[in-house]
Amino acid sequence: MSVVSFKGTREGLVITLGEGEWHDVLNHLAAQLSRPGAQSFFQGARVFLETGSRALDATQIEELIALLGQYQMTLTAISDVASQAEYNRVRATMPAPPESLPAEESQTAPVGTSESYALLVQRTIRSGQLCQYAGTIVVIGDVNPGAQVVAEGDVIVWGKLRGVVHAGAAGNENAIVGALVLAPTQLRIGHLIARAPEGKRTRSFPEVARVREGRIVVEPWIES
Amino acid sequence: MAGRIITLTSGKGGVGKTTVTANLGVALARCAQRVVCVDADIGLRNLDVVMGLENRIVYDLVDVVEGRARLRQALIKDKRLPELHLLPAAQTREKSAVTEKQMIKLCEDLRKDFDFVLIDSPAGIEHGFKNAVAPADEIVIVVTPEVSAVRDADRVIGLVDANEKTPPRLIINRLRPAMVRRGEMLDTADVLEVLAIELLGIVPEDETIIIATNKGQPVALESNTVAGAAFMRIARRILGENVPFHNFDDSGGLLDRLTNLLRKR
Repeated sequence: MSVVSFKGTREGLVITLGEGEWHDVLNHLAAQLSRPGAQSFFQGARVFLETGSRALDATQIEELIALLGQYQMTLTAISDVASQAEYNRVRATMPAPPESLPAEESQTAPVGTSESYALLVQRTIRSGQLCQYAGTIVVIGDVNPGAQVVAEGDVIVWGKLRGVVHAGAAGNENAIVGALVLAPTQLRIGHLIARAPEGKRTRSFPEVARVREGRIVVEPWIES
Repeated sequence: MAGRIITLTSGKGGVGKTTVTANLGVALARCAQRVVCVDADIGLRNLDVVMGLENRIVYDLVDVVEGRARLRQALIKDKRLPELHLLPAAQTREKSAVTEKQMIKLCEDLRKDFDFVLIDSPAGIEHGFKNAVAPADEIVIVVTPEVSAVRDADRVIGLVDANEKTPPRLIINRLRPAMVRRGEMLDTADVLEVLAIELLGIVPEDETIIIATNKGQPVALESNTVAGAAFMRIARRILGENVPFHNFDDSGGLLDRLTNLLRKR
């Protein structure tokens, strides 16, 4: 398998980083991007980074953003949760944040849309970790207290949701939050905020939260 | 064969990392393992006091790293167990006196001579924590059955995951069976439900630990205390033995058992 591989999707370009020393991987990527003829193909692409088992630190992400920037490419999301959290931290300190998915696209998206792209997170998101994506987030695992999930689309958790969750973060109040056990510290949809009721009885059937008449309501998650 | 490097950490302070490190060191040494306990809490050293070896310190970890002393000169042999050693931290310096690279080099040197290198991590998730975790083969998270401690432990597990270490294991310290029975304290299942990692052992709250810690006589030196026996079981699990988990419920007083009986009806 090559060190770096590329795949084009409707949403943008998926770059997969293989095993190896970070600098070898980065050099390889640079070589691929600078190949004659490649430039017009990559120019302006929105990049989704697949890191495999690798977790990137802030410096590595900065190097990557700088390299991609030379070809007017923008990094949209990283597959690894920890790297994604680092990326968010790096992005927060940068003067001009790279564009995410156009806001109107997610605003007009229907409830629980299967059309939009989703970030699949197959691990537990722990305290202090932030998972952010300009689309729907699907977590297979738990979202622990102290963790944050912020999606411009829906948030679906196949597990216990106990952290802070924000669906429709760009203002989409049609977004939903669904979980096998829905017991978030705080639940936000669009501009609305709801807290968990003080009594800590958690129900053990799947529930979904959505906005009805300007309020967040929680109901059993049954096929509608 | 090269020894195993195990780091004990927790995120939150005051959960008993140092006490657990000292006792685990003692327990492993009693299983005829050659053990060195490394105090990575530079500037706030405690491990030497808990092990009762404070008055024997001549050189410390920073002296070794900066080349003022050879490793052998800084190692302190325990006064009771010949297999047990301590590498003390410097008290007059700060955590930044050592880098991750230097810690890794130091521990690689130590593992040549010992079966186990136990690193006592400082509280927090900053430089000192990173130093303590960098050389580790295995991580053991120490937690007390409190919501805040569990939260911090969860944070630390997340950080360790990102470093591509093997999944950490858990020691629940200071469990009070009577309080758990009355529903006033998180129980083992509550803690494991959030953290979802392998349980290595449970150490019940035991007054003898406080007395022993102040005297510099780790409880694990004798198996006749509840906590001492718990540390021996953990040591045997680390050595790969399959030791069943002890049911601390039986240790409750008569009154507790009576209330429990009434409650059940």
